Amino acid sequence: MPPKVIPVPKTDAGAYDPTRKAGTLLRSQALHLREALIKRVHELTTLLATDMNSLKSEADVSAYVHKATALLHPHAARPAQK
Amino acid sequence: MTAGLDNLKHIVVLMMENRSFDHMLGGLSLVMEGGKKKHPGINGLTGDEWNPDTQENPVKVQPNAKFQSQLDTDPDHHFPGVDLQIYGQLPGAPRVANMKGFVKDYFRQTKNVARSHNIMSYFKPDDLPVLTNLATEYALFNGWFSSIPGPTICNRAFAHYGTSFGQVGMDIFYTLDKIPSIYERMIQANPRRAAKIYYYDEQSSTMEIVNLLKDQPQIFALFDQFLADCAGNTLPDYSFIEPCYNDHPGADGGQILASDQHPDHNVREGERFIGRVYNAIRNNPTLWTNTVLLIVYDEHGGIYDHVIPPNCTPGGYTAKADATETGEDFTFNRLGVRVPAVLVSPWIPRSTIIPGTEDQTNGRIFEHACIPATVTSFFLGTYDNRTDREKKALNFLGPLTDTMRPDDDCIVFGDLE
Repeated sequence: MPPKVIPVPKTDAGAYDPTRKAGTLLRSQALHLREALIKRVHELTTLLATDMNSLKSEADVSAYVHKATALLHPHAARPAQK
Repeated sequence: MTAGLDNLKHIVVLMMENRSFDHMLGGLSLVMEGGKKKHPGINGLTGDEWNPDTQENPVKVQPNAKFQSQLDTDPDHHFPGVDLQIYGQLPGAPRVANMKGFVKDYFRQTKNVARSHNIMSYFKPDDLPVLTNLATEYALFNGWFSSIPGPTICNRAFAHYGTSFGQVGMDIFYTLDKIPSIYERMIQANPRRAAKIYYYDEQSSTMEIVNLLKDQPQIFALFDQFLADCAGNTLPDYSFIEPCYNDHPGADGGQILASDQHPDHNVREGERFIGRVYNAIRNNPTLWTNTVLLIVYDEHGGIYDHVIPPNCTPGGYTAKADATETGEDFTFNRLGVRVPAVLVSPWIPRSTIIPGTEDQTNGRIFEHACIPATVTSFFLGTYDNRTDREKKALNFLGPLTDTMRPDDDCIVFGDLE
């Protein structure tokens, strides 16, 4: 015997309102993301200040590349493989 | 250990927004069958609960909750507002908690006596076929409370860290290095465990921004990935799902609706979202038998509930009077208002009810610190680097038994696409 299927009503037409005034939660979320961006800008600024001539060894380069990749492609960022 | 726990491989938590237990599920106590209450164990409404309004007229609970446009002025759910809701009067004179200040507090938002009565509204069970069916088909917690009588961010922090680090408001918090999030605990474990926060899309994003600040992007993924992980048997050990928090255009020009149920977002869209999460697990036969799904709300959103929040293990922090805005310090020794919490698994007998404060002998009190406590205990075992409060928080997996219900005994939801 198939399981019982419970029908779920559709959401009312007209429910969509992207012009709705943003509440406290959404405004706080935007502020908190801004905090995260500021931290990211600080990291970017620090990285851009690296003297490229100081990258002598493969370890130096890999450390730089790791940080740059993490900033440019954060979803790919992982701790160094063992 | 029961067979249900022996088989368990995945814990999934879906945290919705800002609705109280009585508002969403309190009407289940009024359902009659054969001249008797159909769900006598549920600690919902009698129909006689009331609050005074600002003119001291009694306002009873009413089964007239609407999916949208009834609480379009967002009910107060910040610390001083919830304090008034719980005590019915402002701090100063001696007082006891009585849950009599909800209407008066909502008047402070609406400035309209008639509209202030809307805070006493509750849904008829047939209005919410997803949540009420899950609550009655699986396990319902009578005593799951928000962790703090306050707003979203500090309450959600308890679900991620087992503490809000002394915060009672919406501020982001920085002193986090001593206690890792449940996700960090999992991915840093040996052997490593998989954990993800799935947020709806990039326009909605996450409310758990602290982990972004801590350079933990690998723990985040989109909701579409959750669906793919369910279908492809690649679900992590632990998943935390965030609904869509705002209305915005879709990538193809369509309409993406907020599904978090935060007033004044459409409650029915949230129902559909809960149904999609459930179906994604339910429709994979392997996943269905080895996964447990907890659906819980972060806080009550300023909406009426009749159960007085109990005391709790403090947890080592004090919020000063200037932070609580009540003129009094808060030592995190009392929980926030009760919220809906439903546990889903085929290993749970139909109509399981976990008693709460109404049962002085067998009642058990749950709150959001139970989430990292349970996940840590189940996947990692002993773990010391967390608050006493989390260490003492109850494990919510108790309803899983030795007996798995047959497939045809477990509902599915239709018409969701």
